[in-house]
Amino acid sequence: MENIFEIRDLDLYYGTNQALKKISMDIHRNEVTAFIGPSGCGKSTFLRCFNRMNDLIPDCRIEGKMTMNDTDIMSSKLNVVDLRTRVGMVFQKPNPFPMSIYDNVAYGLRCQNIKDKKVLDQIVTQSLKKAALWEEVKDRLNENAYKLSGGQQQRLCIARAISMEPDVILMDEPTSALDPIATSKIEDLIQELKRDYTIIIVTHSMQQAARVSDYTAFFLLGEVIEFNTTKVLFQIPSDKRTEDYITGRFG
Amino acid sequence: MDKIVRNHISVKSMKRKHLQDVFVKNLFKLMALLSSSVIILIILFILMKGSAPFLPNYKYGTISLPNFLFGTVWRQDAGIYGVGFIVINTILSAFGALLLSFPISVLTALFIVKVAPRKVASVMRTIVELLASIPSVVYGVFAAGTIVAFVRIIGSALGIVTAGGNSMMAVIMLLAIMIFPTITSLSISAIEAVDPDLELASLALGATKTQTHFKVVLSSAKSGIFAGAILGLGRAFGEATAVSMVAGNKLFGPTFNLLDITRTLTSTMLAGLKETTGLDYDIRYSVGIVLMATILISNLLLNYIKNRIGNKV
Amino acid sequence: MKVTETMIKKRKVKDRVLQTVTLISSSISVLILIMLFFFIFQKGAGSLSFKLLTDDYWAKNYLLDIPAEQTGTYVKPANLPTDSFWSVKYGFAVTDALSHEKQKLILIEYIDPASPLAKMTDASSGPNFGKAQLISVGMQIQKIGYVDINGDTRSAGTIADQNAKTLVDTLDSSALTLNQAYIKTTGGGIRGSIVSTFYLILISLLLAVPIGIMTAIYLNEYAKYNRFTPWLRSSIEMLTGVPSIIYGLMGMVVLYPVTALFKASGTSILLGGLTLSVILLPTVIRSTEEALKVVPDNFRDASLSLGANQAQTIFRIVLPSAIPGILSAILLSLGRIIGESAALIYTMGTFVNDSPTVLTGGTSLAVHIWSLMSGEQPNFALASAISIIILIIVLVLNISVKLLSGRLRKTWQ
Repeated sequence: MENIFEIRDLDLYYGTNQALKKISMDIHRNEVTAFIGPSGCGKSTFLRCFNRMNDLIPDCRIEGKMTMNDTDIMSSKLNVVDLRTRVGMVFQKPNPFPMSIYDNVAYGLRCQNIKDKKVLDQIVTQSLKKAALWEEVKDRLNENAYKLSGGQQQRLCIARAISMEPDVILMDEPTSALDPIATSKIEDLIQELKRDYTIIIVTHSMQQAARVSDYTAFFLLGEVIEFNTTKVLFQIPSDKRTEDYITGRFG
Repeated sequence: MDKIVRNHISVKSMKRKHLQDVFVKNLFKLMALLSSSVIILIILFILMKGSAPFLPNYKYGTISLPNFLFGTVWRQDAGIYGVGFIVINTILSAFGALLLSFPISVLTALFIVKVAPRKVASVMRTIVELLASIPSVVYGVFAAGTIVAFVRIIGSALGIVTAGGNSMMAVIMLLAIMIFPTITSLSISAIEAVDPDLELASLALGATKTQTHFKVVLSSAKSGIFAGAILGLGRAFGEATAVSMVAGNKLFGPTFNLLDITRTLTSTMLAGLKETTGLDYDIRYSVGIVLMATILISNLLLNYIKNRIGNKV
Repeated sequence: MKVTETMIKKRKVKDRVLQTVTLISSSISVLILIMLFFFIFQKGAGSLSFKLLTDDYWAKNYLLDIPAEQTGTYVKPANLPTDSFWSVKYGFAVTDALSHEKQKLILIEYIDPASPLAKMTDASSGPNFGKAQLISVGMQIQKIGYVDINGDTRSAGTIADQNAKTLVDTLDSSALTLNQAYIKTTGGGIRGSIVSTFYLILISLLLAVPIGIMTAIYLNEYAKYNRFTPWLRSSIEMLTGVPSIIYGLMGMVVLYPVTALFKASGTSILLGGLTLSVILLPTVIRSTEEALKVVPDNFRDASLSLGANQAQTIFRIVLPSAIPGILSAILLSLGRIIGESAALIYTMGTFVNDSPTVLTGGTSLAVHIWSLMSGEQPNFALASAISIIILIIVLVLNISVKLLSGRLRKTWQ
């Protein structure tokens, strides 16, 4: 089992307020890793470190080490734009662009100057198939993305991220805005996607983490309390706080 | 699966994208710097050109600064330029307009927001917007035809001779009309922003609607309304073309007679622009400096008063 | 404290007074608007016509020779208006009219193509001597010189204190041959000012819109959290408090050298356009920033997370979504351009130019009004006619902005 990410002693500050404290863990390639914990404890903030989206927040300072495939991705010399083509992201609220379905998926490609219609067609089709959306939209690729339902829009966002052929897909509470049927569709999708991608998912629902992930990290107040295979963490947690959270005593 | 996209991304293409980004960012930064330096350019150059007539070695003969600032005569033909009385006249007209327009604007704003039924209020709002978008020259034509005639009638009723109706009163009435939309719109926003709970509290204590409007709503909206008044006053100072059509351009002063012709800083800057050279042209820049100074000082003064009143609550 | 009857009565009276005063105040503005429209329409409606829009302002004078071939009788066409008079001998019709200065004019109503008046040549010494000069309907006859039965040279026309009827009668009865004509166009048209206004709009928008948009993008997208941004913003906001006449002064000093680069000298439309673009800048910047702010941040996040850089995000996602807001900024600016006067009086001049170019002076519609009103004899009629045109344009712009912002609100639903 090789590691794709290695994080050592990561600290993150918003101004003087420390949001992440000494985070250390390894993310395994082609597995699903889940971050769980009560709200506001830094899960999403940590997730955003993987594709340097925290750069967009003013006053955000990060110390410590995070490497991807043995390259330091915290370095100021790193080409952040390139990193983001390898590490894709799906957001909590589906956010398709105000364009057609086709243009949404092709967006990232066009930004890389891929203009050949045949190439674009091929990648768009592939991505929509992998996101389990192809059958539902294949006849209306030119329709506005807003005509889709919430669940379909989220799968569209997944297709859009996949189109860049990333190594990693980050998912920030991807189903919290969706109904149970759409949620379960996406959970099934995640199981399929892990064959080709490494997935890191932040979720509010422990049950979801238990269902889809191979590894789970429990976050509390900016620290990783416990990190283990999902089976172990949920059945034999080693920390009392983890046990309290899983059994519903708080959070 | 083919790695199509990966193959497409190369160090070179990444570099090109980065250069593009840097270029765009710097171009836009330049534009922003340009836009923000305009105010400095305005102040600098007008100060330079406007102070030139008072400095030694001025091309057309240096003129004395105190005579300019405190003078009571302005005669193009005789080369006498005293701006002192003009400042007084300008202040009189602008504050007169404010005095006239302020109560009407505030009451109209109150009417629109609180008293009028939906449809009437909506019509009134459109009327205010329309009045705001009418250009000054059109107001000038209207004033030169109607207001001036009105003043003429009043003059003859009182037995006073007027110069065809061009007078300070005409200027004040014209300016009052022109600053009305400004004060009204800001008052409308201020009144709309008053917490409805305050009104409810007043009504619950047994006050009538009207009492509530005047005692609670208007005083809560005080600072926004005052800001509107300050803005309106600034407009009254700066209005040029319309005023020059009804002022009359008196050669000396100051005038405290409402029915006498008058002269403002702006009408002075426009008067006789068609045939003017040399000192007569440059002196308008000096008048411009005086105009800006007047606006600045009155703004500071009024803001000071606004803060004092605000604290008294 | 007991509330007495008299206290309640007093309060009622006070309330009534305040309510009445409020009502009266509100009706004052309605009254003023109605009075203004009424006055302007009454004074100006009479002068409105298609000709007004296409004529030159300055009247042109023509001294013309009438060809010697003058035989024939001419049939009066059936569709001539009843108040015109027909010359059977020379084949033309004229009517009476009044200039706006209340002077009597004789206007040409119709010229038969075979009439000698249709084939006149330029009689003034100079490069045009002998060239054919067509005259048209609407021009006025100042004088027609003729030789009468006794061999004397006489004059007919307004110069001889005649009107349309007496002119035609004189020529048909007493004239043997016509020799010269002195024809004047009526002038008073605003075509030149319309063209100037058009050039002005072009130049000022071409400068203000791109620079304004780029500035707004920098402030809102690139430098949002920068320390200096508030300073930049306030120095732009300060511009809104500057009276427009000051901009005129600035234009003459600061921007004049720029126009000299383009070989323009003195006041010019180019200079006016440059100055106006500075005046428009704060409005464009503010409206564009508002439009940019409305674009949700998660669009930007999504774009950046896909590996687009900031420039791509701005051009592909943010700007297209901000277009309705930018359009209303442009419409608002249009209104400002048409209404602006003081700054243009300084930088564009007040001389009405019938064939303006970007490098010459000219008058926008508003400045034309100023020019008409600032002379010895204010021309209320023409000034009001132009005001009507301006008011209509402003009205249309206002409605368009309203419709556009309604549309804006719908797209984000």
